[in-house]
Amino acid sequence: MVKITLNRVSAVRDHWSLSASGTFNEGVHLVSGDIGSGKSTLAFMMAGLLPLSGGHIEKEEITTTMLSLQFPELHVTGLTVAEECASWGVDPDEILDAVRLAGKKEESPLSLSRGELKRLHLACVLAKNYDLLLLDEPFSSLDCEEKVKLCAHIGQKSQGITVIFTHEQNILPRVKQIWEIVDGMLVNCGTPPDAFTHWRHVPQLIERLTALGSRPENISLEDLREAVCRIQG
Amino acid sequence: MQDPRIRIAAAAVLSLAAFVSLHGAAAVFLWWLVFTPRLQLAKRIRLVFSLILMIALFSLVLELSGGSGISYFARMTVIVLIGMWIFSEQKSGEFLAIGVWLFGDRAGFELGMIAEMGMQSFAAVTAELDRIRMAEKIKGMQWEMRSLVPAGLVLVHGALARAEDTAELLAVRGYQHGGTLCPAFFTRPLDLIAGMFALAILIFSLIPVSEFFILYR
Repeated sequence: MVKITLNRVSAVRDHWSLSASGTFNEGVHLVSGDIGSGKSTLAFMMAGLLPLSGGHIEKEEITTTMLSLQFPELHVTGLTVAEECASWGVDPDEILDAVRLAGKKEESPLSLSRGELKRLHLACVLAKNYDLLLLDEPFSSLDCEEKVKLCAHIGQKSQGITVIFTHEQNILPRVKQIWEIVDGMLVNCGTPPDAFTHWRHVPQLIERLTALGSRPENISLEDLREAVCRIQG
Repeated sequence: MQDPRIRIAAAAVLSLAAFVSLHGAAAVFLWWLVFTPRLQLAKRIRLVFSLILMIALFSLVLELSGGSGISYFARMTVIVLIGMWIFSEQKSGEFLAIGVWLFGDRAGFELGMIAEMGMQSFAAVTAELDRIRMAEKIKGMQWEMRSLVPAGLVLVHGALARAEDTAELLAVRGYQHGGTLCPAFFTRPLDLIAGMFALAILIFSLIPVSEFFILYR
């Protein structure tokens, strides 16, 4: 079984620090936290791209790791959209059809809008299976429709560990475990719906539904709709 | 060094001293050893190593083609060390304060603001470059000469986008020209001593060394 364990992992910079302990098992995990709380730093450390100030990370049966950065342009290595797809080892025609960018095959990836580039980037990343998939703010620059599609895609994943680092509050996929970064520390809130009681970054809608006595089972739109329907009877 | 006026003036005269003569460069190197945190700086600004490597390459070519490559290498390396020191000591808002102190609320404010934006942009580009290198690693690519073109495009694209955003923001806020600021500086005695030594080094570097060694002549 794939597993990644953080043992007193820490990152220290000037007047800022982050410490994290916990085990991420197979399934989808959500790491929430305020902007600047250290979500991206944690993602980089879990990907093995940032040296740890302390502690260590143990990976079990993880042979392939992928980190998707918040800003898709930083991933660009191709001079054309087709080249960019090829650099991810995916078929450009297939991917570009899927993200409705078939007509822009020969254009520079940097000429795409941020939203288009994010769509393209995520399609390339999600086209392959990884043992450990780290998505840093995957919902930024996407419209509601694309966010829903992305959630559906993530929800279909049956293998590996997927960790979503985000401050998105409205459109989220169904997750196995909720984590949050509070005061420079990674906190395991547990599994939904029990996690909602400890989760400081709990979305307002979930909070209101819980107050109305209709706690959703999970955090996806379907779960929220189901909880709303329960109120209406 | 606390006072940015002395720091910038010292950096300017030391760079000139290191550039004009080899013995000037040696004196500047000694100054750098005495008045700066030295290696802690090098650890923080990793770009320095690549710069020195690049200078070494040019120097080698110069030496092989009959020029004074070793002297060039020594002088340029010392200038890079001084540049590294001034960059690491620079704090946000200092250029603006110096601009206003030197040239007043209009031209000084604008010059200072441009310099501040330049520094911010440099910091952003450095951070982006780090991320790009990580992103290439994620894709399983090696950082090589071929990577420079797309990476350069991303960096230029990002810098232009940031410049556009800043320009729009200034226009939206109704900025036309100049601004008011009351610059305040804190000068330690050590700043003055370091500054005076820097000036002395410049004078020393401009005097031919042979003049000191009359007996030898």
